[in-house]
Amino acid sequence: MTGPDRRDLVYLAAAAAGLGGVVALGDTYALRVATLVGIYAIAAIGYQLVFGRLGLLSLAQGALFGIGAYTSALLTLSLGLPAPLGIVAAVVAPAAVGAAVALPIARLESHYVALATLGLAQLALLAATNLELTGGANGLYGVPPLAVGPVEIVGGWPMLTLVWTLVGLCLLASRAMLAGGRAARFATLRDAPHAALTLGLNPVPARLVLFAAAGALGGLAGGLQVHGIGVVSPSVTGFEVMVTILAIAVVGGRGSGPGAVAGAALLIPLPEVLRFLEGSYLAAYGVVLLAAIVLMPRGLDGWLRDRFPRRPPAVPAAASAPARRRGKALAVDGLRKRFGGVTALDGVSFAVSAGTVVGLIGANGSGKTTVLNLISGLETPDAGQIRLGGVPLAERPAHHRTALGLGRGFQHPEFPEGLFVLEAAAVAARDRSVALAALERVGLAGRAAEPVAALGAAELRRLDLARTLATEPGAVILDEPAAGLTADERSALSALLRRLADEGLAVLVVDHGMDFLLPLADRIVCLDAGRVLAAGTPEAVRRDPAVVAAYLGQGAAA
Amino acid sequence: MRRLIPVLLLSLAVPAAAAPALAAGAAEPVAVSVLVPITGFLALEGTAQRNGAVLALDKPPAGVSVTYQVADTATSPEVAVTALQRALDREQPVAVAAPIFGTQMLAMAPIADRAGVPLVTVSGTAKITELGHDVVFRFFPTDAVVKVAQARYAVQELGMKKPAVLYQTTAYGQSGREHLARTLKQLGVEPVLEEAIDPGIKDLVPALERARAAGADGLLLQLHSGPTALAVRQAHGLGLGLPVVAGSAMHQPTTAALLEPDQLTGVCAETASSPVSEADPRVAAFTNAYRERFHSEPDAFALGQYDGMRMVLAAVADGARSPQAVRDWLAGRRYQGLAMDYVSDGTGNMAHDAVIVCYDGTGRVPTIMKRYDAVDGVR
Repeated sequence: MTGPDRRDLVYLAAAAAGLGGVVALGDTYALRVATLVGIYAIAAIGYQLVFGRLGLLSLAQGALFGIGAYTSALLTLSLGLPAPLGIVAAVVAPAAVGAAVALPIARLESHYVALATLGLAQLALLAATNLELTGGANGLYGVPPLAVGPVEIVGGWPMLTLVWTLVGLCLLASRAMLAGGRAARFATLRDAPHAALTLGLNPVPARLVLFAAAGALGGLAGGLQVHGIGVVSPSVTGFEVMVTILAIAVVGGRGSGPGAVAGAALLIPLPEVLRFLEGSYLAAYGVVLLAAIVLMPRGLDGWLRDRFPRRPPAVPAAASAPARRRGKALAVDGLRKRFGGVTALDGVSFAVSAGTVVGLIGANGSGKTTVLNLISGLETPDAGQIRLGGVPLAERPAHHRTALGLGRGFQHPEFPEGLFVLEAAAVAARDRSVALAALERVGLAGRAAEPVAALGAAELRRLDLARTLATEPGAVILDEPAAGLTADERSALSALLRRLADEGLAVLVVDHGMDFLLPLADRIVCLDAGRVLAAGTPEAVRRDPAVVAAYLGQGAAA
Repeated sequence: MRRLIPVLLLSLAVPAAAAPALAAGAAEPVAVSVLVPITGFLALEGTAQRNGAVLALDKPPAGVSVTYQVADTATSPEVAVTALQRALDREQPVAVAAPIFGTQMLAMAPIADRAGVPLVTVSGTAKITELGHDVVFRFFPTDAVVKVAQARYAVQELGMKKPAVLYQTTAYGQSGREHLARTLKQLGVEPVLEEAIDPGIKDLVPALERARAAGADGLLLQLHSGPTALAVRQAHGLGLGLPVVAGSAMHQPTTAALLEPDQLTGVCAETASSPVSEADPRVAAFTNAYRERFHSEPDAFALGQYDGMRMVLAAVADGARSPQAVRDWLAGRRYQGLAMDYVSDGTGNMAHDAVIVCYDGTGRVPTIMKRYDAVDGVR
């Protein structure tokens, strides 16, 4: 345990100050505004899970807010359910809708997610406006207030207390969802999606769970809203609510639950403060919003993070011993791949036995990276077979291949923002001691508690290798791991790869550095224009006239 | 600790900055709150409301002193409720000029009811006076009045037998369509087309062509301002040659300003009043004062809200100094306003007359063609 971050203390101090302000103002209006802040904070805490943690610009959170409001209103008005049960339904129904939305858009990215979720929002708005069940454009009115026994919670301190208790619980729930390394995994899915897939992280369940959670919190906020004012109309599903939640998330700081609360505390009362400007208050609101974004581009939470950095993770006392995972032979047979009119691979076949290092060489555009992408599942072959330990891989998604024992390193590794070295290495490890062991193997254990941002380009490559090794693979495929390394670093890397092979792993290495690869590899495969030009021992390939002509040049053969 | 200071200052800034604005508006000697939508899709109507209320409150009767504050309710119930709560807490008004937007009224009415503060509005949403809140006072005829006038004029004066009804998908449109259908049925006429129009639709040619294909002999419009102007312009452009009787949006000078006079030829509209058309010197004085103050033309919403606030001031002048006393005065008295005589039907509906105005193609000021008094039998 590392104890609370100093930012948490800042947030607590701000909350205490806010409470003091409400007590000082003390009237029903101030309590109502503070209650609204809490309601929107709940919706924004949920939205942070999708927008902040998964990096998906969902435009459905306003609609989920509205679905929660309508669900509770309908059940309490039509079926006479007690309001607390209505609230429960207001949580469950949008959670189900959120999960249902996540499934069809599970593979969509960026603007496609925005368009798809905008479609849901439009459907919700149309349904609310046109269905008799929802009261048409007038909406539903006379929604009963929440009640505890005979005592109705119509507003004031009781409603404020209830809402802010729920804000606290939502923050705890959000924190729990991100504990145990899940924050790092979500961040990797968000910022390094290809690496995430080859590390065995499946985006579909993550999206499912986080969309459902976002829906639940959005619906809870909507339910509290409708029982607070007694009316729900189509405007609650409109774009204005969505924009408000989005603005809160941005101003609060991407992904941060407490930031969402701070954003709501800043933005919800702002129109009230500026309302004396009458027709100009929206312009003033826009100016303040713009200023907040310009002055704090990473939001309030980012601003605080710069001043009160997150504590580094606890580093395990000892690294675990390297796993004795059985090495697995890797074989490709007849791989073909076309991109439009370009044939990238045309019948490529070779094998990497367990306990050996195979070097894959060839000129730029010869198909080396395409081979690695097909093996790791980032691309699908048009024809051919890939086997790992005899198990066919071609039909399996990328994350399944990791579970079967395949590890992949990248030429340009990506890492999510804000992680420490140990967290980045542990993203797909059984536990952090395994990750620490992997860091030790690449010489980064001493920097485990440093931010990833503090590492140089060569160190990032080593970290990429470490997080791959932390998955305890039986075979690894590495894309130019020695590029940009110094002579000493290349020597150390070469020794490490040899040790991995000696431990039984199958190692496939793409590299242009013949001085690095030829002494290391047991066998070399040379590609040219998507075909295997030559294969054999390093010496045989180096002397192969075709390889010399197509790739190495006359000097290399001497 | 020095790093914490800006954060604490920021957290304190919100309530601190709020305080001056929130504390403004002392209730001396009587306060009235003007809570209307001056932004959003009802900004035109809400601004007319605001202007009408302000014009009345700026010149109270002798012996009455009034303070007032204007706040925007935008277009969501939550904003309206917050604005009302703020007014009740910080201004202690004897009455509130309340939004034209019915959904906001439905949210505000229970709160105003608990506080006993009358809401004076020109909202047309029927439900706001049907829920037993005896604090809602509507100074604009309901659809039960104006839609009857619209349908009767179309059928009895223009001879429509096969009208097409284009209505908005909003509460305004849905309610109007329902009342139109009811009255047309009573008159023995069945629309050949009823088409719902989303407020975001920018081309009404398909709907108009469907009306032509259905054999319509006239158009009944229940659309907001912009779509009404669009429908009239496109109907003219298509050469439909059909008489048009529109909803109250078409009487608004701001709507007429969107069209050329020849496009307005033969176009009529229902409304509570048309200040720019009236020859009555008292209404003309109101119109001139409005133009001078706001540099725009008044419409029936402005005049209705003006009349409502004048009635509130009359109550205060008569000794009603508390919200409850003003409410009782509004509920129990008859008041001669500029647009019409107002009296409650027992549920807060104060307006019972309608007029039909038509444009002759020479200008943008319509002529009052027919008056329908006491349409709902009250008075």
